[in-house]
Amino acid sequence: MEISLLGTEILLATLGFLALVTGLLPGRAKSITGSMSLAGLLLILVYTIAHFGEEASLFQGIYLVDNFAAYFKMLFLTATLLVSLGAGRYLERFENKKSEFYSLMVFATLGMVIMASAGDFITLYVGLELMTVSFYILTAFLLRDGLSTEAGLKYLVLGAASSAILLFGISLVMAYTGTTVIGATAARLMTEPAVVAGIVLLAAGFAFKISVIPFHMWTPDIYQGAPTPVTNYLSVASKAAAFAAMVRVFMVAVDAAPGLTLSWNLILAILAALTIIVGNLIALVQEDIKRLLAYSSIAQAGYILAGLAAANAYGLKGVLFYALLYVFCNTGAFIIATAVEVDSGSTAIEAFRGLSKRSPALAAIMTICLLSLAGIPPLAGFVGKFYLFAGAIQQGYLWLALIGLIMSMVSVYYYLNVSRVMYIEKAGKQEPVKGSGAFRLALWVCALAAIFLGCYPAPLSNLAQQAIQLFL
Amino acid sequence: MLTDYATIGVFFLLTVSFPIAAMALSWIFRPKPKAAPDDEKYTTYECGVDTRGKTWIRFRVNYFLFALVFLAFDVETVFLYPWAVKFQKLGFFAFAEMIVFIAILVVALWYAWKEGALEWH
Repeated sequence: MEISLLGTEILLATLGFLALVTGLLPGRAKSITGSMSLAGLLLILVYTIAHFGEEASLFQGIYLVDNFAAYFKMLFLTATLLVSLGAGRYLERFENKKSEFYSLMVFATLGMVIMASAGDFITLYVGLELMTVSFYILTAFLLRDGLSTEAGLKYLVLGAASSAILLFGISLVMAYTGTTVIGATAARLMTEPAVVAGIVLLAAGFAFKISVIPFHMWTPDIYQGAPTPVTNYLSVASKAAAFAAMVRVFMVAVDAAPGLTLSWNLILAILAALTIIVGNLIALVQEDIKRLLAYSSIAQAGYILAGLAAANAYGLKGVLFYALLYVFCNTGAFIIATAVEVDSGSTAIEAFRGLSKRSPALAAIMTICLLSLAGIPPLAGFVGKFYLFAGAIQQGYLWLALIGLIMSMVSVYYYLNVSRVMYIEKAGKQEPVKGSGAFRLALWVCALAAIFLGCYPAPLSNLAQQAIQLFL
Repeated sequence: MLTDYATIGVFFLLTVSFPIAAMALSWIFRPKPKAAPDDEKYTTYECGVDTRGKTWIRFRVNYFLFALVFLAFDVETVFLYPWAVKFQKLGFFAFAEMIVFIAILVVALWYAWKEGALEWH
């Protein structure tokens, strides 16, 4: 076995430990943790891109190295980099715990990478727990902030419950197929009530992680309470990781099982429709930017789930394409929300008042990111939704595409409401919002990616096409 | 087919009714004294030494930290033991693997030490 096949994982584990160790160094040596982590993540991202296209099945199919996993690894690393760069002055709130922050971010990324590559249920579960446990700590990272601690505890309790549901599903599937290797279960799955129950429980476990209605209750509270960069990371990367695992489980095991007659597509389509409708409607009345983005992220999960429900070339390509552009657009919006929160000390949408006068670039990028999330052409969100809904229509879910289109129009209202506050209402303060160079770099990457992917989606679309080839 | 699903339904009903039945039975069979319970009945333990002060107290978090550190090395032993038994056969690669494994745990111990988890303030 070539060690280089596991390069991303080994390097990430090493980086996580290095970040922890440098935090223990005395005096000023501590301060290298941040730049070292960023440089390390960038190197690992380059390594992963350079090794795109490798195919291997390690340890009797327990761990898979393929284009699909590689695509998601790039996505996670990009998200980690952007979030860490964009956190900027918010990090000062972590006082002397900055190295732990970087270390836990890297370990959470490692968990996601394992989830995307897992070829068997137990490995998948281990990756999921590594990610989730890191997130429990990150959510409660502001020890003196009541909201943050409360969010951490809630996430711990609800996350444990959802893990139990997922495990129960895995155990039922394993009891009937006699194997935990996802690829090997396909041939042995049959239409047996207990197997059906197991698959439903599996779907419910994943649905919790991607906050699909009716498993979304935790999302707003925890997104609001967690430190804003962590909320950002939670909303883009942990969802993408759960989608990666879910796509693999459903396409490799459930969809390909000859002995199983279960209209899982229809179940997911109904869940997606519910999620899109309810998420967008509740977002309409939010007055806190973090809660607004939480409900918006619920709705976005619904759009992506529509692509998985379609389960054809267009739909799956849409899932991968949308997951990545969602990283750029949502991170852009969150980075600005973080800067405004640091500046004003409030997460209310009113804190954005007159941002166009104070920092015109920030207001413009916020508008671009939000419009892209709403799916307005020529921004990236439009192309992504086009793939997702085209897939749904091809599969005969015209109603789902219609619901998606109508609710996208509804969502324009609350996204533009933020722009209205930024451009029309008067500011109390006049001086521009401060931000470091790293913060500006992350912002410009997000904004340019949102525009570039909208105008010229072909390269990423081809990459996504290569990544899903193994499921078609 | 439907009867198969009924099996799951019956299991579900059983799981729901079991805790209810357990609590109901103990309620039915427990002694029900006519008179109101006296002070003795309200103490935390009816027999043994009386508690002093409030029983609803906080425990030091250090117990938990010690337990965590102990657990790390407890698990280490579980992995070390079979490795040590088969050491001759496994060769150098397994030795290097074990060094990496122990190095990871040592970092954890170092961190716990530095953060003061081993001190009893």
